[in-house]
Amino acid sequence: MTFASLRSFGFWSLVVAILTYMTLPTLVVLMTSVNPTEILAFPPEGVSFAWYEKALTYPDFRRAFTNGLIVTSLASTLAVVVGSAFAWLIHRYEFRGRGVLEAVLWSPLIIPHFTLGFGFLLLGGAFKLQQGYVMIVLAHMVLVMPFVTRAVYVSLATIDPNLARAAANLGASPFHVLTRIELPLVLPGMAGGWLIAAVLSLTEFTASLYVTGSRTQTLPVAMYNYIREYADPTVSAVSAMLIITTTLIMFIADRAFGLRRVLAIDTH
Amino acid sequence: MTHRRPFFITFLAPAVVTAVILAAALFEVLQYSVREFVPGSLNVGGFTLENFTRINRPIYWWVLLDTFYISLLTALFSLLLSYPVAFALVRARRDWVRSLLVSLSITPLFTGEIVRTFSWMLMLGSDGFINSMLRKLSLIEMPLQIMYTRLGVVVALVQFSMPVMIILLATAISHVDRDCEKAAANLGASPGAVFWRITLPLTLPGILSGIVVVFAWTMSAFSTPQLIGGGKVLMISNLVYLQGFSVLNLPFAATLSLIALIAALGSLVLMKSLTGRLEKRLAVR
Amino acid sequence: MTATSPAPAAVELVRVRKDFGSAVGVADVSLKIGQGEFLTLLGPSGCGKSTLLGMIAGFLTPTAGKIVVDGVDITDVEPYRRNIGMVFQSYALFPHMNVFDNIAFGLRMRKLPKAEVAGEVRRAIEMMKLGGFEERRVSQLSGGQQQRVALARAVVIRPKVLLLDEPLSALDKNLRAQMQVELSELHRKTGLTTIFVTHDQGEALSLSDRIVVMNRGEVQQVATPIELYRTPANGFVASFIGEINALPVARYERDGGEAALVLPGAGRLVAPAEGNFAHGAQVRAFLRPEHVRPALPGEDRPNIVSGVVAAHIYQGSHTITRVEVDGLGLIETRVTGADIVGTHPVGAPIALVLDLGDAVMLAANAGRIDA
Repeated sequence: MTFASLRSFGFWSLVVAILTYMTLPTLVVLMTSVNPTEILAFPPEGVSFAWYEKALTYPDFRRAFTNGLIVTSLASTLAVVVGSAFAWLIHRYEFRGRGVLEAVLWSPLIIPHFTLGFGFLLLGGAFKLQQGYVMIVLAHMVLVMPFVTRAVYVSLATIDPNLARAAANLGASPFHVLTRIELPLVLPGMAGGWLIAAVLSLTEFTASLYVTGSRTQTLPVAMYNYIREYADPTVSAVSAMLIITTTLIMFIADRAFGLRRVLAIDTH
Repeated sequence: MTHRRPFFITFLAPAVVTAVILAAALFEVLQYSVREFVPGSLNVGGFTLENFTRINRPIYWWVLLDTFYISLLTALFSLLLSYPVAFALVRARRDWVRSLLVSLSITPLFTGEIVRTFSWMLMLGSDGFINSMLRKLSLIEMPLQIMYTRLGVVVALVQFSMPVMIILLATAISHVDRDCEKAAANLGASPGAVFWRITLPLTLPGILSGIVVVFAWTMSAFSTPQLIGGGKVLMISNLVYLQGFSVLNLPFAATLSLIALIAALGSLVLMKSLTGRLEKRLAVR
Repeated sequence: MTATSPAPAAVELVRVRKDFGSAVGVADVSLKIGQGEFLTLLGPSGCGKSTLLGMIAGFLTPTAGKIVVDGVDITDVEPYRRNIGMVFQSYALFPHMNVFDNIAFGLRMRKLPKAEVAGEVRRAIEMMKLGGFEERRVSQLSGGQQQRVALARAVVIRPKVLLLDEPLSALDKNLRAQMQVELSELHRKTGLTTIFVTHDQGEALSLSDRIVVMNRGEVQQVATPIELYRTPANGFVASFIGEINALPVARYERDGGEAALVLPGAGRLVAPAEGNFAHGAQVRAFLRPEHVRPALPGEDRPNIVSGVVAAHIYQGSHTITRVEVDGLGLIETRVTGADIVGTHPVGAPIALVLDLGDAVMLAANAGRIDA
């Protein structure tokens, strides 16, 4: 073995070891979720879907799942509408107060989720809306919107500005430029942003813990409450379902729109 | 000139409404932080700065210091473990290797806080994966105590933060001009020297922003210290929750979350100025 | 400026001006473009030609002045109501539409009936030799095909004016020559008033009815290609169009039927006497390389200067030889073939005949080269 190939072997072994550290916990969750006994065992002593059955019939999880679907679909859709409009706004126009508006709307990327959740809890209290869907949806929407804005903004920025000019030159009014040229070209970015927003909202925990109540709790909050009370693998089954769902959604996002592009990661 | 700004109001209105709601929520936190606590009631009293003076007690200082310490450790270990992966992700020759690395390193970002924390509870518990494996290999007799320790919290937090770190590092590495590396090799630098003298310095802005972003993120981590720390490891977030939901001292909880927000903002402002200066130095053109 | 238009004006620019902050993009340009004329805006990058085009298309609003098309002031008309066709440098084909939909876009915006749209597009496709490509995505087309789609798309709406913004610059050399021929054919077939922007003097000279040379936002000269080459109005035009030797500023002396240029440090050169310069004027002569030749052995005539060969630039059919001439600086001569490389190697002395009869003489202040 030459020195160069030894070095390469060492490097790739290191990468594999690190990736094992990153993925092992997920594999362990999947393993325990199909383990028939209540006591954690490695490797599993068989394959059973008993915990999945329990998870799907446990009333708290059932209600939390429905709550989560309501909140996620409303929040991510609102985030796409408002986030896209915002992306268009900052892509096209300079105006007074733009800096302030941007600072506020990008801030959920930096603000601790518990601060935001706490803020929405207090705001809900002020309007007698605490623990209601309105505040939960608003909090989720605000939290996931920057990701949509970013995805749409990146799509807009990659459009040749001459396309809009060419369309206008051929007689397209501003409305037609928007609907016939820009919208179709940005649609993949919007759809990818929507999927990411949905995944983030579905799995959001910290802010949700503050803004939800026992009747409106979302799945991660219900899981948290369960973990604190019991120590059986029911949560493994719920986790496994969440992992599979989110992985599937991200896989679709990647296949259809290119994950790297949607996340605006630039590796080349 | 309205015809030159088609749909300006249409695009502006929803953004402004959202911004106002968000600002109102943050204002509520600010407002509560300067109100008097009425024990046994969720209502608050008049204006006071007492919540801020109350911070100045050793127990709160320790929580703050611990939060900084855990966040710093997390950021550093995250950097060490992420760099090789990011490097491999950008430089792998085969397309499928790159795609695999991207999915393996980034999808954990989307399983959510609770699932990931729970999976680490399964890993670290006294009957957990690590302890049973070690026992099976007869390396230990008594289970190692990793749960409810700072080590356990950091081990889990590092794994959480790695996807973000990898994204930032991969972007920085992909911006390194390969011709610079070739030029260095051409001038006689060994592969090791090329990495330490050329690649690493050129990715310094990415490294720095990675450290600060992970640091800020980790400072606002909640479920990991809550569940894996189990009350034995306290970060600001846990204190906020304790004050807000157990003691029901909403004003003090508001003060603490405000301080967490300021700390997060502060570290990002620091990063901006540092990386800005670095990038200016690295700009050749 | 001798701007006489051959036909009634299709486009008229009246003191059009565009400032960018304190910088001047286009300075008070007035122009009349005749019906069916092929007019080229030529100049280096940043000369204001694209800004001018952008104002005609309506993407930029002039700071002052007005733009009249077919007798109607369109200065404040929005771009999509102007009915002015344009081909962009990057083509700006809509990537989410196929060839047919790209070409049909303008007609659909005009709400033409479906059958009529199909008919018009078919005719445009035939004219641009794009048959069979209707369903292709534009990303699957070659550069030349994309160019033709862009042209078809602009022409099919029957615009009042066709604007071409450096449309050939993205093509490789061979394709460019072919597209020049096609552009010229298209212009002949459609008879559209065309404004063409380029920085390539070759394209400008071969395609245009008239050329507008611009520099630093100002019009330098408006003339036919031949006039432009033979009688440039100033030093900028002289040196921008083709290769030219600029001699140092000289004193013009007139003595009856005889005239001469007195160059400090280079003596006297016999000059054509028909110029309208006064005795004692400061003038500058511009001489094309083809009007300079090596002197034959023993040749004895006026205007022979001597120097030393500084470099040969071999160009296949001919060679450009640079000669350092005492008092005149570097003078280029254009010689057929490559023999001169052997007969006069670099460093060898050489005598040159300057054909001042073909030189362009400009007053010294007009001869300033501010490229």
